[in-house]
Amino acid sequence: MAEEPFDADEIDEPAPPRGGSVVLRERFLINGDKPLPGLNSPNAKAYMAEDRHDLSRNLFALVCTPGIPLRTREIKKLQATPGPGVLELVDWETVFWPAIGQHTMIIVYERPMGGRVIDQIRNGQARITEYDIPRKIIQPIVDGLRHVRTLNTAHRALRPENIFFLDEDLQELVIGDFVTAPEGFDQPLMYEPLERALASSPAGRGTGSATDDMYALGASLVVLTLGTNPIERMKGEDLLFRRTNLGSYAAVCGNARIPLSLLEPLRGLMSDSPSERWGLDEITKWLNGLKQTPQQKKPARKGDTPLRFGGREHTNVRTLAHAFNRQIPEAVRALKDETFHAWLKRSAGEGDLSESLKGFVDTANFHKDDYQGTDEYLIARCCAIMDPHGPIRYKGISVYLDGFGPMLAMEIIRNGNVQALTEIINREIYQFWVSDRATFLDTLETAQQFAQLKAWLASKEAGQGLERCLYELNPGLACHSPHILEDGIIFVEDLLPALDRAAGHAEGHSKPIDRHIAAFIAARFNEDIQPHLRALSATKESTSVIGMLSLLAFLQWKLRVEPLYGLTSWIGGLLGPAINAYHSRTTRRDLEKEIPKLVRRGSLPDMFDLIDNAEKRQEDQDGYADAVEEYTVCANEIREIEGNGNEMTENAEKTGQKTAATLSIITTMIAVTIMFFSEIL
Amino acid sequence: MRALVWALLILVLLLIVALPTVLLLGFGMLPAIVALIIDRTEERSATFCVGGLNFCGVFPYLMELWFEDHDLGQAMHILTDVFALAVMYGGACMGWMLYLSLPPVIASFIQVMSERRLQQLRKTQKQILDEWGDEVIHDADLSDDGITPPQEAGQKVPAAA
Repeated sequence: MAEEPFDADEIDEPAPPRGGSVVLRERFLINGDKPLPGLNSPNAKAYMAEDRHDLSRNLFALVCTPGIPLRTREIKKLQATPGPGVLELVDWETVFWPAIGQHTMIIVYERPMGGRVIDQIRNGQARITEYDIPRKIIQPIVDGLRHVRTLNTAHRALRPENIFFLDEDLQELVIGDFVTAPEGFDQPLMYEPLERALASSPAGRGTGSATDDMYALGASLVVLTLGTNPIERMKGEDLLFRRTNLGSYAAVCGNARIPLSLLEPLRGLMSDSPSERWGLDEITKWLNGLKQTPQQKKPARKGDTPLRFGGREHTNVRTLAHAFNRQIPEAVRALKDETFHAWLKRSAGEGDLSESLKGFVDTANFHKDDYQGTDEYLIARCCAIMDPHGPIRYKGISVYLDGFGPMLAMEIIRNGNVQALTEIINREIYQFWVSDRATFLDTLETAQQFAQLKAWLASKEAGQGLERCLYELNPGLACHSPHILEDGIIFVEDLLPALDRAAGHAEGHSKPIDRHIAAFIAARFNEDIQPHLRALSATKESTSVIGMLSLLAFLQWKLRVEPLYGLTSWIGGLLGPAINAYHSRTTRRDLEKEIPKLVRRGSLPDMFDLIDNAEKRQEDQDGYADAVEEYTVCANEIREIEGNGNEMTENAEKTGQKTAATLSIITTMIAVTIMFFSEIL
Repeated sequence: MRALVWALLILVLLLIVALPTVLLLGFGMLPAIVALIIDRTEERSATFCVGGLNFCGVFPYLMELWFEDHDLGQAMHILTDVFALAVMYGGACMGWMLYLSLPPVIASFIQVMSERRLQQLRKTQKQILDEWGDEVIHDADLSDDGITPPQEAGQKVPAAA
């Protein structure tokens, strides 16, 4: 089901405020004893910050919730290019935060001194009339969104609680943080466009685009104008049902007293059709006084008579698709029931859809013995055609393709339904949607991306599998390896120092590179490391150890990391199989003697050169081959000497006899010669 | 047959020309003739061994016959001299003794040499095993069967830097 935004406080008991301060980049002091709840984001707590180089600057820091993927690309862009209408991102770094006892990303922002706009409106500090709204509220927000668009991204966190007065005079307005959680993750359902709000988890709402920000602007304007949320008490499924049936504008505004002058932009901004929704150009024209024809609200196509399913009266197939995904066995029964098809044809006027759905049921019956015949697959396929602009629906979850990464990350963190997500890839459920998604995504690129994900999932090698998908799809997700989980490592440059620290508490023969770290490196390190990963995945222990060493040595060399004494020592203790790959015992002893010296140098490349020196290995190979040959020659000679005992005795005897004969002849010849000459001389 | 004819012809000629010599050799070399008859080996070691030393014993009397009176009386005188016969047959006896006693000695000597060689080979093998490990035995056995010993030390691993 669709969920309200994920709040870190809801899953973890808040850590007792232990306070403590940290210094970021040796410049910004983040004071853990001075929280600023008025500036909190749903997934990042705000604290007082000060610039030691310029104490007059008003700053605050957002301490991110560990584990939640961050928008690191946007962090870099926003810091590099500050602009109007958006809080200035001053600096950021992953540091140890004492209150939670682990490393996390801290982002330092310019502090909005006027607080949240909605709070100031509610407590009467800010008096904004309907005539002030275009210039005082809409214009700065539009400026901010335009700046965000120049960064080639979307804000996706625009809501009344995230709009601030920058100055104490409550004159200058800016939109707040949008980088501490995935796109749309912090948004209440009301501020998400209908199609994205249908995702079953805030993490799966997708990257989105500026169009989605425009809807959020419209919904925010309603609340800022009225000073209250007209549908505050309406939550989750009820709100979605109402929005789908009535249209978002009608569902949100209802009977609220919307100023006449705002009717036109609000209807344009809150259109449920992304193609008809007002963009920055339209709102700018409106701000400049160019009036446009007001859009008529377009609720979903309704049937004449409702169909009761899942406890609700459905009058259109879009809500029905949403309900089908949540009650699959009942949905399958309905699909096979003629009453449902009669309703589709006569009441909903969807005769073609009815025929298509019957075709899908027939196909499922044909594939009874494989996954294509399962109820879940059938319903996924039916939901896709019933709500072509909705999210992927499968086994009760619904997710956008561009929100697949954060969804996967959150399901893994929560130990949720990861299997359903992997089946969406493996069973190519995404293909049902790809063809109809030209409005939101680059279809071909997405199909290619998911084909690549499928290939990674199928591979059991290190650096592939589900972990690779996780890190490829979430550039801002910290590495989840148990070795460095508490270090919050997001960038590959920080990996080796973190492993160096982890060496101190590494258990027994655990290896520094596990599946998470291998996948993390593969996803974040822009070099060809496939040969290293193949070696790392080898079943032969010695090859695997050398693969691990070569990969880490390559990282240290390429990233110019400082000496790593702990990690070198850790790996040095694991090199037994690699050393034993040498045949020569002398070489092995020499290597074992050398390792402590290299540990003291902290150099993995040197250690790799020592262990896998090509010349030394060739010498060892050649020496071994010679040894085998010499051993064989010896064995053959021994066999020859020992092998035929009787024959040898006979040979010895014959040799003795020959010797005796020879001796006899020689003696005779000498004696005869002597006698002869003594006689004649 | 032809050889026999030639042999008889030569014997007759010798009987005519040197009857005393033939008589002395015939009686003096009897042990050698016996050895020739009973020695059925291809190498005729016994014949050479006995014959050689037998001839050694006969030769002084043969020279006495040749350089003094080469007549039957002298030949008979020698042949009836017990001392001369003892010398001639003693030589043959020495030959037999040599033939019977030397081979075991030589065989023992060869055995000792072989043992020494075995020790050397085993020592070399032990040194090889100490340096290169027991896997050498396995690979050496394989090579005996005509299979090339596996080139160990794992798959090729990429260079780190």
